[in-house]
Amino acid sequence: MLYELGQVTRVHNGRKILDIDGLAIKRGRITALIGANGAGKTTLLQILAFLDTPTSGQVSFLGEAVDFRAGALLELRRRVVLVDQYPILFTGSVQRNLDFGLKVRGVERKDREQRVSQALEMVGMGEFLHARAEKLSGGETKRIALARALALRPAVLLCDEPTANVDFEHQEVILNILERANGEENISIVFSTHALEQAERLADTLVTLKGGRLSRLSRVNVWPAMLDDGPVAVIAGRGRREVRLALTPEALVGKSGGRVNLFFDPEKLRLLPLSEASDGQRHLPATVVQLAADEQRIKVTVDIGVPIDVYLSTGEYGKRPPCIGEQVLLQVAAGALTVE
Amino acid sequence: MDLLIDSCRAALILLASGDEELMKIVFCSLRVSGAATVIAAILGLPLGLLIAFTVFPGKRLTLTVLNTLLAMPTVVIGLLVYAFISRRGILGFLDMLYTQEAMIVGQVVLIVPVIATMVIAAISRLDRRYQATALTLGADRLQMAWMVVVEARYAVIAAIIAAFGRVIAEIGISMMLGGNAKGFTRTMTTAMALEYDKGEFVLAVALGMVLLGLAFALNLLFQLFQGRVASDAL
Repeated sequence: MLYELGQVTRVHNGRKILDIDGLAIKRGRITALIGANGAGKTTLLQILAFLDTPTSGQVSFLGEAVDFRAGALLELRRRVVLVDQYPILFTGSVQRNLDFGLKVRGVERKDREQRVSQALEMVGMGEFLHARAEKLSGGETKRIALARALALRPAVLLCDEPTANVDFEHQEVILNILERANGEENISIVFSTHALEQAERLADTLVTLKGGRLSRLSRVNVWPAMLDDGPVAVIAGRGRREVRLALTPEALVGKSGGRVNLFFDPEKLRLLPLSEASDGQRHLPATVVQLAADEQRIKVTVDIGVPIDVYLSTGEYGKRPPCIGEQVLLQVAAGALTVE
Repeated sequence: MDLLIDSCRAALILLASGDEELMKIVFCSLRVSGAATVIAAILGLPLGLLIAFTVFPGKRLTLTVLNTLLAMPTVVIGLLVYAFISRRGILGFLDMLYTQEAMIVGQVVLIVPVIATMVIAAISRLDRRYQATALTLGADRLQMAWMVVVEARYAVIAAIIAAFGRVIAEIGISMMLGGNAKGFTRTMTTAMALEYDKGEFVLAVALGMVLLGLAFALNLLFQLFQGRVASDAL
């Protein structure tokens, strides 16, 4: 494991802004932190970057407990780099900025020049070596800040809202940089974002924060719905297609109608052939659209009007492997659906 | 009015002639105040950084004491240092009283708080992300502090210029610890006071002109650096 957090809290001015019971982040992966403003994403990133100290709890990095006393953090900080939401560049040239981290590590000049130019090439800004940092646009500043981090070849790259406040063109470039850094340089990446599509496109794992706590609802398989009489939840699917789902009275305890979030637990959903529909179970017609191997399980994405992920064990998959384009039934058993 | 005009005319002639006594006094002032400023910067800059970067019990009290020291009259500092270096003082064996070294010590005491408080203010105004960025890029505390000083360099230089301006124009310390000995510890301000006492205005006015010219040049420099600070903040 890259990071393991246990009972980590962070209190600021008497207010608990982070309260995480347990969180494990895997090495070599891209992990997205999702949540609204004030959800605790930045605080968590600061702790993962060893720039902030938890008020209580344990953090371990690569299997070793982190000692947050100032003197012990330098070596850890040199393996992890955080790129801020609004990164600040030091005054002077782009080269000076990229040189800084390498100089403090005592890297030889020749090596520095090579790594600086490689990092700039990686972010597609090779010609900016001698440009003044203060003259760059917001998108260029973010890319240079990424290059400054990548030049250090860190084990972990942490990015706070890497695509916030930049135009679409720069957003695409930045996402590609992160993908390449993970794929080609094997750098573990943890980034925060508001954009669910970006998180789903880029990340292997999504972590959702709400009010400083890990949300029980992973963002995968969470869909907003309206409660209708019946009781039925109605999800607005693609192409004006409505997905209607009958709810049990137990699922509706404490809900008084209106807008809710439905969480389809990917571990508990099942796929059945069309012929195996049985009474007393909720079934939704679905089309298999994607298959992906995920360690010990197979992730099958089906379309019910909105995409839903279903995890199958390799055993289950072996018995009856679904094919892309196949029409199936998505069985939503009682425990597989949570209404929030 | 005639007295002032006549004195000014005579002073200009004295300045133009490069009068030896005038030059000795000017150089003595520059040497003493220059040395005091360099030493005070060496002490005040790290002190300011240490206070700015460290959280410790009594930090507010320390800042209040430093701010109070800014308003300390020069004669009080003169008296305090005198108590230490006079023959009966605990540093009396150094035999420093009425020397340029004694004046330098007094002036250092005067401007260390000036430099430290201005450095603390400059660091506090600087965007906190500079510190966090330096740390996440792998800098240790010292490397981070140096990066912050580099980023706040104009404000730091402005602090040093302001401190020099303070000591070059002070009189209490120079008079009490230097003794106004001709050719040794006579500075521009002490010489002006003496000439005034003697009723000899020409040298006093000439020194006043040099002092004003110096103050003007310092203020120009100060404005230049302050301007850079302001434009950097935009």
